[in-house]
Amino acid sequence: MAELEVKSMTETQLRNLRRQRTKEMRLQLTGFGLMIFLTFMAFGMVALDFDPTFIMGVVMLFAFIQVILQFYYFMHMKDQGHDFAKLFMIVGMFFAISFCVTFIYIVWIGSPI
Amino acid sequence: MSQATAQKRGFWSVIWDYMTTVDHKKIAILYLIAGGFFFVLGGIEAMLIRIQLAVPNNDFLSAGLFNEVITMHGTTMIFLAAMPLLFAFMNATVPLQIGARDVAFPFLNSLGVWLFIFGGIFLNLSWFLGGAPDAGWTSYASLSIASPGHGVDFYALGLQVSGAGTLISGINFVTTIITMRAPGMTYMRMPLMTWTTLVAGVLIVFAFPPLTIGLFLLIFDRMFGSNFFIVEAGGNTIIWEHLFWIFGHPEVYILILPAFGIFSEIFATFARKRLFGYSAMVFATVLIGFFGFMVWAHHMFTVGLGPTANAIFALATMAIAVPTGIKIFNWIFTIWGGSIEFTTPMMYALAFIPSFVMGGVTGIMQAVAPADYQYHDSYFIVAHFHYVIVGGVVFALLAGLHYYWPLMFATMLNEKLGKVTFWLFFIGFHMTFLIQHFLGLWGMPRRVFTYLDGQGYNAANMISTIGALFMALAVIVLVINIIMTLVKNEKVGRDPWGDGRTLEWSLPLPVPYYNFAQIPLIRGLDAFWIEKKEGNGEMLPAESLEDFHMPNNSIIPFVMSFGLFVASFGALYFASGKEWAIDAVADLPEKPWAFWVLVIGLAITFISMITRSFKDDLGYYVTKEEVLRDLEERERGAK
Repeated sequence: MAELEVKSMTETQLRNLRRQRTKEMRLQLTGFGLMIFLTFMAFGMVALDFDPTFIMGVVMLFAFIQVILQFYYFMHMKDQGHDFAKLFMIVGMFFAISFCVTFIYIVWIGSPI
Repeated sequence: MSQATAQKRGFWSVIWDYMTTVDHKKIAILYLIAGGFFFVLGGIEAMLIRIQLAVPNNDFLSAGLFNEVITMHGTTMIFLAAMPLLFAFMNATVPLQIGARDVAFPFLNSLGVWLFIFGGIFLNLSWFLGGAPDAGWTSYASLSIASPGHGVDFYALGLQVSGAGTLISGINFVTTIITMRAPGMTYMRMPLMTWTTLVAGVLIVFAFPPLTIGLFLLIFDRMFGSNFFIVEAGGNTIIWEHLFWIFGHPEVYILILPAFGIFSEIFATFARKRLFGYSAMVFATVLIGFFGFMVWAHHMFTVGLGPTANAIFALATMAIAVPTGIKIFNWIFTIWGGSIEFTTPMMYALAFIPSFVMGGVTGIMQAVAPADYQYHDSYFIVAHFHYVIVGGVVFALLAGLHYYWPLMFATMLNEKLGKVTFWLFFIGFHMTFLIQHFLGLWGMPRRVFTYLDGQGYNAANMISTIGALFMALAVIVLVINIIMTLVKNEKVGRDPWGDGRTLEWSLPLPVPYYNFAQIPLIRGLDAFWIEKKEGNGEMLPAESLEDFHMPNNSIIPFVMSFGLFVASFGALYFASGKEWAIDAVADLPEKPWAFWVLVIGLAITFISMITRSFKDDLGYYVTKEEVLRDLEERERGAK
């Protein structure tokens, strides 16, 4: 059996780790608060009868910000060692968006361009 | 568990061993056997097509049977022969090339091969159960919804099952290559075979989900009463064409990129030179993979997408010629000035360059959208894609079979018979398909079961059929060669070609089941070659000799795949005779048991999944003593 070596951490390492985790927790909570706030704003705009075109644009923008917050803060894409995950997500999104655009233009709308 | 005891075991215990194996080398052999079987099946279908078309007004096959034969020829060759055979070589080489003891997910590797085998068997059972699919390998929805009987259902379900296996294997290879490289094996030191496998794996991950979705929509329409492609109910058949080609175009790159990888290895080995322009080759591979997703609509120029859409896709298609050209020139520069050895794999590799370029040039011709209106649905297209798939992929498979045979079986295929195979195949291939370009330009449409006398097609079709006979002869010689080699069973030692450059040739043959006694240290591109030239010809170890961990065998993947095989029959007969079913199957006798077969099949799969989740299988350790004993036995020649 390969033995697992267990080393206890030094005082400084422990302190650094604790500091990092506090920071991480603060970021998570900030992100969460921001997302709740954005959702609240979206609902609020609809409740206050803003101009629909305006609402559509702003809500799309909010959604985009939420996606980024979700990926980078909640799903840890900002952390190290996620290069391939990042690459795959971005390439996948690029493909998916281009497929959707084509479908909307040349299948759904149906008029040849 | 060692090789010596394995040889003493009985026949059934060997069968059981292969059914439960998670070892990538044995899975490679499973892929090779199953893929080879389907390759022969597809080849027989090809011969039937050519016999039917040899003379005008032939009635060797009826029109309906002809449609079934062309559909099954295309489907079998792409999904059940070419791709699994490439997986065979990927499995056999990639873990050895990157210095790993197995793939990242050995269990999934086994699941992948069994899903493919059961999917392939299911698809081919259609011949005995009321007729094969007859809507072409593209199975365009306007045809496939109307196709009477259960043929297309076999297509949709069979490909769904085997496609799941392919997707699983693709994910597995991507993970393996990213996470399991030996110390020192940086991305830019990976052999080209590994690089092309990585890119092909990524393409599988992105390209197979659209196929899965398309097939599910087709399954729902044909078997469960939905209306995605049913025009009377507001469906749209063009959606199938888009989904199919979003998958279908990357699919041809999934096939050709590993073929490029095999050829890159062969060129460097038998020209005894480092691959010219390695980084440009890597760049070109990635670029081809990326562009592969931007061009699918060039299969649909005549659908009526409009001039702007056609122009965009035409331009993107032409752009692919640039990275492909980079590759062709790099191969030529690799052999330029090398000390070339004309072995069988090298002959295929040398023949591949002009053959593939011819296929590529006609590809550029078709990329010109206005010109494509003339070529569309003619034999010109048939000639083009056979030039790239046979001249590229099949040449690579045959070359790879000869080249990697010693790595997989520790024997060598006969070189003389290999060269006979090569010349027969090479002549037969050009004879069959070169003339088909002209047939297409003279106006012969594809997918017709016969043609009239006096249209000027007679002589050309006869020549084409004779060429196909040559290819059949070549395959027969190859089979004889394989049988002779297996019977003789003359074992060869390490580095049997004498000029091995990459890590896999540094291993003793037969390769121990744990691959590496010690994970090697990689000091550069062509790791083994560097040690031969600068070191003592042995790989330096990157770790001390210690116990290491290996996965346990498991029968669960087999059972899981079998469950889906059973469930497929349930789904297939579910709509038979139901009043809500489409016209194609509404008149068939009702099968009340179909629902229960579906349930039982899915239950088998889910129960095996649950078993897998709850049963802790932590694998086992190979002890240091066993490895030392192996090394010592090899030292004194006991193995």
